[in-house]
Amino acid sequence: MIDARMGLGPGGAIRFAGAGALVLFLCWQHVQATRLGYRVEAARREAAERRGRVEAMRFELEKRLSPAEVAVRASRLGMVPASPDALRRLPDDDEAARAAGPLQRLLSRLPARAALSRG
Amino acid sequence: MDLGLRLTCAASAALLPVLPLGLRLADLQVLRHGALETRAQGEFERVAEEAAPRADLLDRDGRVLARSVPTWSVFVDKPMVKDPAAFAAKLAPKIGVPAAEIAAKTRDAVRFAWLKTGLSEEQAEAVRAARVEGAGLAPALERVYPNGELGRGVLGVVGEEGRGLAGLELTLEKRLRGQPRRLEIMRDGAGRTIYKSVEDDGMTPEPVRLTLDRSVQYLAEEALRQGGEKGAFKSGVIAVQDPRDGEILAMASWPPNPLNNPLVQDAYEPGSTFKVVTALEAIEDGLVKPDETFSGEHGRYEIVPGVVITDHEPEGDMTLAQILEHSSNIGISKVVERVGAARFYRMARQLGFGAKTGVELPGETSGEVKPVAELTKVGLASSSYGYNVQASPLQVLGAYSAIANGGTLWQPKLLLDGRAPVAVRRVASDATIRQMQTILEGVAKYGTTANAGIPGYRVAGKTGTARRIDPKTHKYSTTAYNASFVGFLPVSAPRWTVLVVINEPHGSYYGAMAAAPIFSALGRRLLALQGIPPDAPEDAALTARR
Repeated sequence: MIDARMGLGPGGAIRFAGAGALVLFLCWQHVQATRLGYRVEAARREAAERRGRVEAMRFELEKRLSPAEVAVRASRLGMVPASPDALRRLPDDDEAARAAGPLQRLLSRLPARAALSRG
Repeated sequence: MDLGLRLTCAASAALLPVLPLGLRLADLQVLRHGALETRAQGEFERVAEEAAPRADLLDRDGRVLARSVPTWSVFVDKPMVKDPAAFAAKLAPKIGVPAAEIAAKTRDAVRFAWLKTGLSEEQAEAVRAARVEGAGLAPALERVYPNGELGRGVLGVVGEEGRGLAGLELTLEKRLRGQPRRLEIMRDGAGRTIYKSVEDDGMTPEPVRLTLDRSVQYLAEEALRQGGEKGAFKSGVIAVQDPRDGEILAMASWPPNPLNNPLVQDAYEPGSTFKVVTALEAIEDGLVKPDETFSGEHGRYEIVPGVVITDHEPEGDMTLAQILEHSSNIGISKVVERVGAARFYRMARQLGFGAKTGVELPGETSGEVKPVAELTKVGLASSSYGYNVQASPLQVLGAYSAIANGGTLWQPKLLLDGRAPVAVRRVASDATIRQMQTILEGVAKYGTTANAGIPGYRVAGKTGTARRIDPKTHKYSTTAYNASFVGFLPVSAPRWTVLVVINEPHGSYYGAMAAAPIFSALGRRLLALQGIPPDAPEDAALTARR
């Protein structure tokens, strides 16, 4: 009826409907893109804000770990700088093994073997 | 008139007002489309820049020395402010600036003025919540130094626009500065931002790792601060270098000044620390035998008629080693007479004096070694004991590092960028260097430098004392001195070369009294820090302490 009155054939009606659908789709897409743009912008702001907070906390941490701050806290606890002659070096594992007798070496291996047999 | 014609006329009359509208529409949409679209885009679409943070500066272990953190700056838009006093009263508690100051800045502003920079996120939120008309917030990046003034002479300063003005912040400007990110955005009717796309991703620079060791830097600054705050001296510098590869571990100066690094930018007369130049050349070319003696003239030597060289203690005959142990000016003057100006000059240049070291810091001085033609007999003698020459503390440090490491002069290194250290040249043969090391160890053990000793450890070094030029008279002062000590430890496998220069010490002005104890105290802290075992465990002083 409408096609006939408007002078559109069946193909023309389909094209008209298709064009209408395309316009609607483009409008919908534009609205969605704008909505997404708002959301991205809000997320970007929030990310920047959180990044700022993380940086501020990192800065605070670094400040607290600075040698001057640590020295002040250590001196409050009664600590003093170590003198090199106050240091005692422990022998490393090879040195300790060489210093130990054969029986001690054998005994030191026992717990490890027991653990292996249980496993 | 038939009905059809009448209807056509009526329709035409009814549609007539639509015609200009149609024409106008065609004009706007077709003819002026391009221009109007550009104008609309200009009003609603913008390119926003998101500043890239400046790269972090890290110490050799990755600990932060300088960082850029996002902050907020608050500003006033003057036309929006009706009552400056009320505006200031409302804003003052939120940003921690006196109301009178805000009101004054607002009144003085032409259109716009910054009220405070460096606001935290919490402060910015408080300003937003207060909804003060005329106050605005702008994001900014602030350069912060979590260790306070630590190493600031090396790190330098960044200006208000975020550009380096001094120190490494200046020399590494290109490397530290990133490229801002550019975003296409739109603004809606309410002024809200709508993200559109990324135009340019920009570039966030990689952190830069330095050779500085935060702990060593702290110990060096602390050693100076203790004396400086008590007024024991006017100013001073300490530098610590790893002689194995030329890496700079610490550069400290008192009073601290981020705009100036006296270790690199200032030259001084190094005094007796320069005696090693003559001694090295004399040994290298076999001009002096180890057991050969030179007369100390009992403390007074008239080198040419009317020019007398004196020693602080009258000495008799001395070997080369004893000349350095007693720091005899007369003795070294006699040695340099034999060495000659040409050889002396050549060795001074070999050790890096009179040329820039190439360290990555701005404003480096090359110092000055007088050319052979200008070295008269008196000039050569005074040069041999460190007058008549100018050297930067870094040059002196480098020369002693070369002696410590077996003879390689390194280019001082401040950036830990994976590149191999640069060996400038070998300064002397292995045998000469070994002999020089033994002599300098003797200086620290038996000579003027006993105050530099550390129980249980082998230390080598040399003191220096030099009169300063009085800036008013341009002559040598009789009251102002430079006292210095430069040495390395532990001698068995040197880990550190340390230079201490104290300007205008109060009380005793000798390097042995003013600078050597600072070297010793710092050396102990370094040895304890790294847990280096004693290389002289039979040392009587160590046994007594235990």
